[in-house]
Amino acid sequence: MSIVPKETIEVIAQSIGITNLSPEAALMLAPDVEYRVREIMQEAIKCMRHSKRTTLTASDVDGALNLRNLEPIYGFASGGPIRFRKAIGHRDLFYTDDREVDFKDVIEAPLPKAPLDTDIVCHWLAIEGVQPAIPENAPLEVIRAPAENQIYQQKDGPLIDIRLPVKHVLSKELQLYFQKIAELTMSKSNPSLFKEALVSLASDSGLHPLVPYFTNFIADEVSRGLNDFLLLSNLMHVVRSLLQNPHIHIEPYLHQLMPSVVTCLVSRKLGNRFADNHWELRDFTANLVALICKRFGNTYITLQSRLTKTLVNALLDPKKALTQHYGAIQGLAALGHNVVRLLVLPNLEPYLSLLEPELDAEKQKNQMKSYETWRVYGALLRAAGLCIHDRLKIFPYLPSPSPSFLNKGKGKIINTEPNKRKLSVDSSSTMQVDKPMGDDNPPQNSVQPSSSGQASDGAPESRNAKEKEGSKGRAITMKAILDQVWKNDLDSGRLLVKLHQLYGDRILPFIPSTEMSLFL
Amino acid sequence: MDPEQLDEFVMGYLKKKGFNGAAKQLQEALHNNNNNNGTGSSSSFNSTDYHNDPELTKLIRSFSQSENDPTRYRNGYSNLRSWAYNSLDLYKHELLRVMYPVFIHCYMDLVGKGHTQEARAFFNSFRKDHEMIHLRDLQKLEGVLVPSHLEEMEFARSLRQSKVNIKICQYSYDLLLQYLHRTESTLMLGIINEHINFQVYSGQPNSSSDDIDAVTIVGSFQETADHVNQKEIQWGLLEDSLEDRLEKTGSLLTDSEKGQGESKDGDVDDSNKKRSTEIGKQGSSLKKLKKDKAGNATAKVARQETSTVSPAPRVKSELALPVMSTDVEESILEDLRNRVQLSSVAMPSVSFYTFVNTHNGLNCASISHDGSLVAGGFSDSSIKVWDMAKIGQAGSGALQGESDTNDQVAGPNSRRNYTLLLGHSGPVYSATFSPPGDFVLSSSADTTIRLWSTQLNANLVCYKGHNYPVWDVQFSPFGHYFASCSHDRTARIWSMDRVQPLRIMAGHLSDVDCVQWHPNCNYIATGSSDKTVRLWDVQTGECVRIFIGHRSMVLSLAMSPDGRYMASGDEDGTIMMWDLSTARCITPLMGHNSCVWSLSYSGEGSLLASGSADCTVKLWDVTSSTKLTKAEEKNGNSNRLRSLRTFPTKSTPVHALRFSRRNLLFAAGAISKPTS
Repeated sequence: MSIVPKETIEVIAQSIGITNLSPEAALMLAPDVEYRVREIMQEAIKCMRHSKRTTLTASDVDGALNLRNLEPIYGFASGGPIRFRKAIGHRDLFYTDDREVDFKDVIEAPLPKAPLDTDIVCHWLAIEGVQPAIPENAPLEVIRAPAENQIYQQKDGPLIDIRLPVKHVLSKELQLYFQKIAELTMSKSNPSLFKEALVSLASDSGLHPLVPYFTNFIADEVSRGLNDFLLLSNLMHVVRSLLQNPHIHIEPYLHQLMPSVVTCLVSRKLGNRFADNHWELRDFTANLVALICKRFGNTYITLQSRLTKTLVNALLDPKKALTQHYGAIQGLAALGHNVVRLLVLPNLEPYLSLLEPELDAEKQKNQMKSYETWRVYGALLRAAGLCIHDRLKIFPYLPSPSPSFLNKGKGKIINTEPNKRKLSVDSSSTMQVDKPMGDDNPPQNSVQPSSSGQASDGAPESRNAKEKEGSKGRAITMKAILDQVWKNDLDSGRLLVKLHQLYGDRILPFIPSTEMSLFL
Repeated sequence: MDPEQLDEFVMGYLKKKGFNGAAKQLQEALHNNNNNNGTGSSSSFNSTDYHNDPELTKLIRSFSQSENDPTRYRNGYSNLRSWAYNSLDLYKHELLRVMYPVFIHCYMDLVGKGHTQEARAFFNSFRKDHEMIHLRDLQKLEGVLVPSHLEEMEFARSLRQSKVNIKICQYSYDLLLQYLHRTESTLMLGIINEHINFQVYSGQPNSSSDDIDAVTIVGSFQETADHVNQKEIQWGLLEDSLEDRLEKTGSLLTDSEKGQGESKDGDVDDSNKKRSTEIGKQGSSLKKLKKDKAGNATAKVARQETSTVSPAPRVKSELALPVMSTDVEESILEDLRNRVQLSSVAMPSVSFYTFVNTHNGLNCASISHDGSLVAGGFSDSSIKVWDMAKIGQAGSGALQGESDTNDQVAGPNSRRNYTLLLGHSGPVYSATFSPPGDFVLSSSADTTIRLWSTQLNANLVCYKGHNYPVWDVQFSPFGHYFASCSHDRTARIWSMDRVQPLRIMAGHLSDVDCVQWHPNCNYIATGSSDKTVRLWDVQTGECVRIFIGHRSMVLSLAMSPDGRYMASGDEDGTIMMWDLSTARCITPLMGHNSCVWSLSYSGEGSLLASGSADCTVKLWDVTSSTKLTKAEEKNGNSNRLRSLRTFPTKSTPVHALRFSRRNLLFAAGAISKPTS
């Protein structure tokens, strides 16, 4: 039957004062009511179409009623959705919520803000068939469109006429945005706002036109502000945000950006104050470099090779400062264990022999220098350790190591020194049980020099000598055991042995515990 | 069966079908028969005829049954349906075509007999089959529930009165008839006989299952359409159009450059001067030169015509066209000379005008021919005109004074940068600029059309004539004349100097939603809610073409600059390209998934731009689509090739599009806040 139920007709009849409507009449009226409603809606849809809309509004229905010479229904044109409520006690009866409003309240209420006036904004939706990546355009195909076009142009090469260089016009909004970001980067006074700015840089869609300006800005500031640690750190954060932004097509500007980034990694001096934690900046930048290589390595094949060449050169030049060595090691380590294995490990022995004398506290009087040496030593240890860790992880014989330990170990070793110590305690204490030879050294000391060395420069130097002896003694036994166990993976075995020779027990925390317990 | 009862049935049937004479005769015969029974003389011819024939008795009984049993429709239809769906694949699509008319007539029969409940149930159980193609019709029919609605509703009435033409091959036809006879489904047979007109052809069934003629039920005007479309039309361009003149002057330029060569600037000035004198029909001193050039020009044109594939023929204008002032003509010629040649490899630039803060009130937007003026019609009856050139140069001092005076006209206190035109008393549905941009016409729900001057910022004329909201108004390509269309199902031709329409074009079966002029001004095209597009002769007011094929209301129209083709866009997002001379759809352009509000051809007709409610502007390569042969079309994938580029906007439905004379594409739309 009709979708209008009989009850509705009865309710409507009551509402207009007809109380004695017979059920038959209501039943007869229902289909007709439905037909009329559909008719009105059909007209209303016409009005909607001619208002160039795709949502039907109350005003469209009024328009349709007008077309039929009917009185429009007043009171629904306010625009907001109308809320119907169920009448209590009636199953099918609804009413609109019509609150009583105090006249006084209405008069005394402050005037609402005047709505903004209509205006027209003009922009280029496309220039010669290519959509420019500006904020006014949808960010859908921003990255894909230019690439497509290139292919297209190449295909029809001879047909393309030479175009005059297009003047790059920046909208006022973009200029302001750039200024603001630059200001925040330079000022360092408002870290929370700067964080917001970084989020915006990493996510806004229309920033593409600003990329050349940003690369320029970064290059300029890095070369100018090598003494300003905070500025450099801010700049690197900006670089990272730009790299993260999915709407930005940063590839063409990489060659401008890379020198600045590499500078922040391997520069002799970053910041001028003692308190500046330039190590952290180098670590951050190393990750950044790795990110760039990972993302653009495929398109720029020479990128990684050029980068590693620079870094290895920096590492192997004994004239370079230790800070530079540190940066280079961190950079190489961030590029992955393969890079470390191929480029760092072969040079490990000569390098460590070079470093050895510096490590000795007695010989090294300069505390700063000694600290730096320990830093470099720690970085090398970590790089080599992570490398061997990775090797072992893929070692085919072994049951997969427990991931929780892996993650925990890796993450904490990278980040925080105290945890490193704790970890080493854990792992070494398990070792201790199995060890055939007694150990005169307390196990937690195994990494302590490097860690405490940076926490406070004073204490640990005295221990170094003692430590060395102990580790040498252990190394012999370790070698024997390891050689036996790793007959069938000579490569990894040798590597580990070699590392163990060089580092002693300090490498052990990097070896997953499951493997460790298996081998020992 | 009791013979007397049978007589009654026959009588009732005859009366019901309107054969009153036959009924009377039968009655008399029966009467005689009864009288003669006693005497035992010769029996009645009639009674012996049908009483003794068992086949006939059965048929008569089935007629009587159909009168009172609504389930027969359902059973009959569902049997026929399952038979058709299980038929051979080769003939299936032809047989399925029959299903839709049978379905709607079954439904209407049920409604007509007052079986509302059964009708609704029947409709709902089978509507899925037809929703894909006939959704709009079904939505309309769904509301029909009592017999009186059938009478009232035009669509239903026209369906009842007319027959549907279905092309069907001989074998399918035989299959169908065999089935109907074998199963004795006389009810279905009756419906098919009553409402379907089979055009049986011999040979293999037609493979194209989406033949447009087959799936559209157009009511009574299929034949009229076929008849109308036989008429001859002159789709060529006007003689002595500006393009022609440009070619002439172009040849002049090159000739004179060849001749003199040394001072280029002077040359251009010189030829410009010559042209102006030529146009102004004065300057006797240069007469001799002019003659020379005329010779050159014709030679050049002749050469060009041989080189191009098929030049558009030239026709005479049937209207008295306004005389264009020389400086307007100068500027147009200058634009034409600077026109960028567009093709599938040379895309246009698109400048987008976004309306902000419209509060959902923007009903229409219009862009002047040079793109410098933008008008918006609002639901609060206002029209706002922006001068984009002025906004662009807001800093320059020379224009500052001018804009100040404008502001004073609009209202001394306001600092708004548009001109507000107030006068309508209902939502403004359409606005159009005259070609030079000095006038704006607007149409509104208050049934009037108003003429505004952009120089005076004032209302000049109010044209009253339509009785219902005027949906669309368009200036002719040469100004002065304009066409309007309305909910009152007419389109009208007006001239600016008269308040009464010059012509009224009536014939559409529903609202006329959009109107467009042919480039030669002799025809207008109208798109309607009856899903057809019609072409009308402006001089005679006659309908000269009916284009059938759209499946929903037609919202936008555009004519190709060479006058040969027309594009129309509908509510579903389909764009159709029509050949005006044959009234055939060349190919539908699929791609949009919502209303196509606006269409525009590029200056030389190689590209078509479409703007849609799905927030995109699409560019279509229409040269390739028109060149395609029928064989290529059948290969299928040509549709995708033709969509060249899609430009998505930032949640801005595209209301208006215009290619400027220099082939820059302007688009306009109001940004809609994404509903979260």
